[in-house]
Amino acid sequence: MPATEVPGSLLHCIVDRVNMGIFVVNGDMEVMLWNKFMEANSGKPAADIIGKNLFDCFPDLPRTWLEKKIRNVFVLNNFAFICWEQRPFLFKFPHHRPMTGTVECMRQNCTLFPIKGADGSIESVCITLMDMTDTSIYHEMLQKAMQSLYKANQHDGLTSIYNRHYIEDMLSKEFSRSQRYGGFFSLIMLDLDYFKEINDQYGHLAGDTVLRGVSSTIHDLLRESDTFGRYGGEEFAIILPETTLEHAMLVAKRISTTIAAARIQYEGKVIPITISAGVAQSHPHLQRYEDLIREADTALYQSKQQGRNRVTQFRPISGPVSLTQGDA
Amino acid sequence: MTAVQYTDEQTDALQEIINIAMGQAVASLAGILDVRVGLSVPHVHLVQIHELIDTIQEITGASDEITIVSQAFYSHLKGEVLIIFEEHGWKDLAGLMGYEPPPGNIQQEQELLLDVANIVSGACLNGIANQLGTDMSYTPPSVIPDMSRMKNALVSNNASWTHALLVEVNFSLEHINFKSHLLILMTEDTIEILSTTLDDLLESI
Repeated sequence: MPATEVPGSLLHCIVDRVNMGIFVVNGDMEVMLWNKFMEANSGKPAADIIGKNLFDCFPDLPRTWLEKKIRNVFVLNNFAFICWEQRPFLFKFPHHRPMTGTVECMRQNCTLFPIKGADGSIESVCITLMDMTDTSIYHEMLQKAMQSLYKANQHDGLTSIYNRHYIEDMLSKEFSRSQRYGGFFSLIMLDLDYFKEINDQYGHLAGDTVLRGVSSTIHDLLRESDTFGRYGGEEFAIILPETTLEHAMLVAKRISTTIAAARIQYEGKVIPITISAGVAQSHPHLQRYEDLIREADTALYQSKQQGRNRVTQFRPISGPVSLTQGDA
Repeated sequence: MTAVQYTDEQTDALQEIINIAMGQAVASLAGILDVRVGLSVPHVHLVQIHELIDTIQEITGASDEITIVSQAFYSHLKGEVLIIFEEHGWKDLAGLMGYEPPPGNIQQEQELLLDVANIVSGACLNGIANQLGTDMSYTPPSVIPDMSRMKNALVSNNASWTHALLVEVNFSLEHINFKSHLLILMTEDTIEILSTTLDDLLESI
């Protein structure tokens, strides 16, 4: 082995000074080597530790598990690993970013490997410890960025409800599920009445307030399983899984009544607002999920045609039937 | 086809080495887990990428609840081990692996899974290394997040390989609902190195 040709003093110096933790335990779990990194971070000098039981010196270590892990290395003559992603740290060491770090202590990766004696039997196990704090901080930042990107990709910035992209995605999934397993669902498309006039009369900020107010009012009326999103400017969509047309009509009417009675305020003034809605239920003749949007839109158009502030269900044969507030 | 083809003699010798190695692996695993370990006859053969995908498909096709862990090894012999777990029987090994109390969150469960994968692959590879009179080094094991991504990686293959030596063996544990499949894949240059090693061994008999 070429390593034996390197002077022992040089190896000793490297092991001692290298910027990672290195320590060795024997079969009785007594520490045989404890390098400077371990000294500095644990605050315990090698002289106080060498020859003593590792677990006596560090009662906080997860003893049962770690001892089993070290013993397995002896038995199997095998490497073993500990990763910060599963177990953030083995020793509770301070990390070296006391000012800018966002974790409370040093994240660590450890490798355990067997050391053979002259007769080929395993005499001890060496454990190396790498400081992974920086990696873990970057990893955490990346996770957070991914999460907020993921959320931004699904939500409407103004109203915080789902966006059109997400609604279409869910509609497509719900459609495939109903085609495959024979289930059904309903879709409500709804639109604010005279929204342009609100913007003209009260200003765009008032319009935004109305959009937010309507969103949160409708949101509170729905079930956990319903998907509610902003489909376009002042148009909204609601997917109601396993819901009949009849029941979806009731939901739409309740929304219509509640919105008409809601007192959405902007700068102390109540802005009156009503909605028109169209409701359609999935059926086996639909070719694509877009067809269902078209059916609900047709019914919505009918509501607008017949004077707004009303809810209409899609009727494929006899044509749309409109219900006004009074019918509910 | 690969440049290296093993002779019948070499194939027999390799099969024998693997058999002995797996026997040793079973003994050491039984020692660690304190339970009887069942083992299939190891299947040793040269494969091309598409055959590997078929093999994995065959193993994983039956169950939704599989988990695959990958670990690389290097030194004289180079390659990657895929440890495929069926269902969640590995969770029953918590106590035997020193997890007291049993894993309470997903990170701890994953650590247990990686621990189990590491001893299974380590036992087998060290057995082989032992028979060949060499030592093995390992990278930390990691969970392959989903099958389709692995298949894509194999198919799209900016493949550094077209052929591999595949050792396939199945483990089970008595009284515990635990099944794992081990696929040891050795690289093309390892196939050549192994050919020389086998010749040396055969000559020395």
